[in-house]
Amino acid sequence: MNEKVLSRQFDLPHLHKIDVYLENGGYEAVRKALRLRPEEIVEEVKKASLRGRGGAGFPAGIKWSFVPRVDKPKYLCVNADEGEPGTFKDRYIMSHNPHLLIEGIIITSYAVGIHLAFIYIRGEYEKIAQRLEKAIEEARNKGFLGRNILGTGFDLEVVVHRGAGAYICGEETALLESLEGKRGHPRLKPPFPASVGLFQMPTVINNVETVANVPLIILNGADWFLSLGQPKDGGTRLFSVSGMVERPGVYELPVGTPLRKIIFDYAGGVKNGRKLKAVIPGGMSAPILLPEEIDVPMDCESVMKRGSMLGSAAIIVIDETVPIIEVLSKVTKFYSHESCGQCTPCRIGTSWIHKIVKRMASGQGRKDDLKEIERLASQIKGRTLCPLGDAAALPILAIVNKFRAELEAMLPQ
Amino acid sequence: MPKITIDGQTIEVAEGTTILKAAGQAGIDIPHLCYHPAFPPEGSCRLCLVEIEGAPKLELACATVVREGMVVKTQSEKVKEARRSVLEFLLAEHPLDCPICDKAGECQLQDYYELYGLFESRYRETKEKKEKLVRLGRHLLLDRERCIQCTRCVRFLLEITRTGELGVFERGIKSIIGFYEGEPVDNNYSGNLAEICPVGAITDLDFRFKTRRWLLDSRPSLCPLCSRNCAINIEFHRGLARIELGQRVFRIRSRENPQVNQYWICDLGRYSYRYLDENRIDRPYQLVNGRRMNLSWEKLFILLSEKIRALRIRKKTSRIVLVLNSALTNEELFLMRRLFLEELAVSRFIFCDPPEEKGDSFLLTAERVPNRRGAEKIGFDVKSREEVLGEDKIDLLLIFAAHLPEKMPLNWLSPLASQIGAKFLFASQESKLSQLVDFVAPVTPVAEKAGSFINVDGLMQSFEAALNPWGESRPEWEILVNLAREIPVNYRYFGRFNSPRAIREAMAEEKLIMSERP
Amino acid sequence: MSAPVFEVIRKEIEAILPRYPRKEAALLPALHIVQRKLGFIPPEGEKLVAQLLEIKPVRVREVVTFYTMFTRKPLGKYHLQVCSNLSCSLAGGESILKYLEEKLGIKAGETTPDGRFTLSTVECLGACDQSPCLMVNDDLYGQLDRAKVDELLATLE
Repeated sequence: MNEKVLSRQFDLPHLHKIDVYLENGGYEAVRKALRLRPEEIVEEVKKASLRGRGGAGFPAGIKWSFVPRVDKPKYLCVNADEGEPGTFKDRYIMSHNPHLLIEGIIITSYAVGIHLAFIYIRGEYEKIAQRLEKAIEEARNKGFLGRNILGTGFDLEVVVHRGAGAYICGEETALLESLEGKRGHPRLKPPFPASVGLFQMPTVINNVETVANVPLIILNGADWFLSLGQPKDGGTRLFSVSGMVERPGVYELPVGTPLRKIIFDYAGGVKNGRKLKAVIPGGMSAPILLPEEIDVPMDCESVMKRGSMLGSAAIIVIDETVPIIEVLSKVTKFYSHESCGQCTPCRIGTSWIHKIVKRMASGQGRKDDLKEIERLASQIKGRTLCPLGDAAALPILAIVNKFRAELEAMLPQ
Repeated sequence: MPKITIDGQTIEVAEGTTILKAAGQAGIDIPHLCYHPAFPPEGSCRLCLVEIEGAPKLELACATVVREGMVVKTQSEKVKEARRSVLEFLLAEHPLDCPICDKAGECQLQDYYELYGLFESRYRETKEKKEKLVRLGRHLLLDRERCIQCTRCVRFLLEITRTGELGVFERGIKSIIGFYEGEPVDNNYSGNLAEICPVGAITDLDFRFKTRRWLLDSRPSLCPLCSRNCAINIEFHRGLARIELGQRVFRIRSRENPQVNQYWICDLGRYSYRYLDENRIDRPYQLVNGRRMNLSWEKLFILLSEKIRALRIRKKTSRIVLVLNSALTNEELFLMRRLFLEELAVSRFIFCDPPEEKGDSFLLTAERVPNRRGAEKIGFDVKSREEVLGEDKIDLLLIFAAHLPEKMPLNWLSPLASQIGAKFLFASQESKLSQLVDFVAPVTPVAEKAGSFINVDGLMQSFEAALNPWGESRPEWEILVNLAREIPVNYRYFGRFNSPRAIREAMAEEKLIMSERP
Repeated sequence: MSAPVFEVIRKEIEAILPRYPRKEAALLPALHIVQRKLGFIPPEGEKLVAQLLEIKPVRVREVVTFYTMFTRKPLGKYHLQVCSNLSCSLAGGESILKYLEEKLGIKAGETTPDGRFTLSTVECLGACDQSPCLMVNDDLYGQLDRAKVDELLATLE
């Protein structure tokens, strides 16, 4: 079944205006949720197996249940930083249906006992931030935000907070640092944000798409949500498809849809009838796949088993005309540019590898360059303070490993 | 109390102990750069990664708290390789400055490379170029190419001095340490930054290009410049054959003392050491009509003891005035009391401590003498009781000025000088005071003697001599013991005191609790 | 730096401070306000923000130099930010950049002498289905080719 659920109404004109949204069933989920007990909502979301859609894929309900029921201020941070190259689904959700996200925020906050929620949105999405702020104002005017929401005694404020151009701020602890007015330097974990988060208080950080699914789960139930996807990975995903396909765009499909199907049946296949060379399945941080590997079902477990990750479900299609060195260069440039600089292996390693690849790309490769790149990437892998190290190392290792011959051919023998 | 195993050794440690600290207790050193015991773990250098049985990845020793039954390996191949790789990354972008870098010989990068590295350099790209001579304020220079981004400097200024002058600018490989223009590092603890910097990124202008670390010996002492009595190390030149350096002490460094100064010293204590080698009095001398005539100590003792004996016989020791200061050690003040106040019935003494100056809320006290508490404990009224000057004629004036003759408030001396019989000055430094007296004798400053002080918090600390006496300088306690023999006064009592330790033992025996004032 | 605009900036920043449990948390929004009003963040802007948020200027400088959207140098009237990441590159983004460099007579990182255009390369803008993309200040333009670039430049006076 490929009925749209989350993006079902996205083509309705002016859906971002609350009157249109309300006319079309909007805020029913909030009404229903506020009549439930918070613990019930957490259990339902756990049962639904809603996994994080930002990249890490951590089950949302379980994350929420880590927040201690203590009498301290608690916060929700919606991660709208969408920096993973190839990903644009959250832009889509927030510009087409900001109220769905707001509903999700209200329900999530109610479930965990949060009264102040931040939407950390990347600075480049200024226009979308403005749209969100207008929607929040509309919601407040209708009594869905502010004090004593719908007479239930539940208070919630939502603040839109803009980033300023740093991919690392998509990492949850760097996001917290940035929200506290500092450089986006990831924190050591433990402690985890659920116990020590924003301003040292218990905090939930969830991706836009994750939160946007919550109203659907409330309205239609966990069983329904689970049935859309896979046993431990419920619902649909919004796949961002780009690169050399006929029809790039956002495709909402059940979790577990095979990658081949998404590319060839939905996105029209490789553009201009060319041959497929490689596919990045989950945003740039997901190791590259070869044409023979694209029958993989797009759910967290399956892609992991195939040696990559579902990540942000951003699919980048690469055809035979693209020299793989170009892909490798973009990867190394990106991570060295985005490294926050805190920890030794990432700060120096990503830059070192990029210097080698730049040299290779300009025709000045040396005999042992590939060996060096592999050695250095292996020294970054698993050794860094935050996941950006692996996000750089694993894709680099996959490209070198799977396209060794093509890269070797660039080097003197 | 969890029991854990590190490298095969099983030890029991307190709840909440990190692997790094636990290893230290077991005598195992885990290399680390960004970690400093004064701050919470930073976790950015990645050098302290160790293997924990059952854990999928290597974990940080500095930040991981031990759990019952944890098995840690710090010497496995995986750990060794991880350490080598961190060192390799750091050295890849590190300038080859060792031959001109002041940190050579005490550089963590050098030391760790020797212990855990020893690999061939494989970096064949262009190193990042950054500014190498950034003045950080006061005495500090920053070389941005040498910086390994451990952020100890930034954190020191945020957590310890709470002045926060330094920050990290830019991002990634371009990261640099910097300050806001017009707001450089300008606090009284800036010198600690050069000490805690593990490499030669932050260096001290005071030490720049002067000597090499391996030419210096280091001996512990206490700082005598205020009443905190911080633990210090005095670092002095070993001496080169046939080369006259003219300078012994090249720097003062802090010494760890959890009860007093933790890991730090203030800039006043750090940079005030030149007096140890400059402007010293070499030997005793007498001033006759403004002309200097050298004396031997023996001669000096004979002359002084004659004068004291003469007054004692005529029961005129009331004509003796003693000028003291709170830089004298407990042992010396004890002897002053026993010998002068009690045995010789000298009642006219005054303390002429330098005036108080501004203290801070951390280490530096307003009092600029080390042992006022000691003097009080031994029963002295440390106020300057200038009224004693007018009580009677002054036939003999003994000024004990320690290292403070420039600073002692002795304005009353000049007008009275002609009316005073014989004037003796015991000091380590030359000063204008020397012109106003008849006899000058050199004493050893704190760095050159042993003794004990009681600091502002009432803590008593003993110390040993760090340097040899300059010229013919002698410690005040030795002078007093010799004087007791010469006069003679109860030598059976005083003759036992062949070291400050012996004096301390006597003080303990005599249950030194002085509540009455003499 | 004229006083009136600083008054406006001050008022705008003060208006957003109550949204946050701590003043320092408003640093990024405050800097956005400064940059929107002045086109860049001069030392006076840093110091004003520091004063309003009760933090030291060095903390402001740390943040200004960390985030790529903040600039300490004035930009042209139109900041052309060309995506240089993978999907846009696969769609011909590099040639769009080269074309712009030709047309404007400047290299990426530079500003035209008349102050109209600053040309930069940026990382993924999150609009990969419209590759190749660029942003002009806050506005996104996608599916670019030479013709569209010519059209766009014509509208930017």
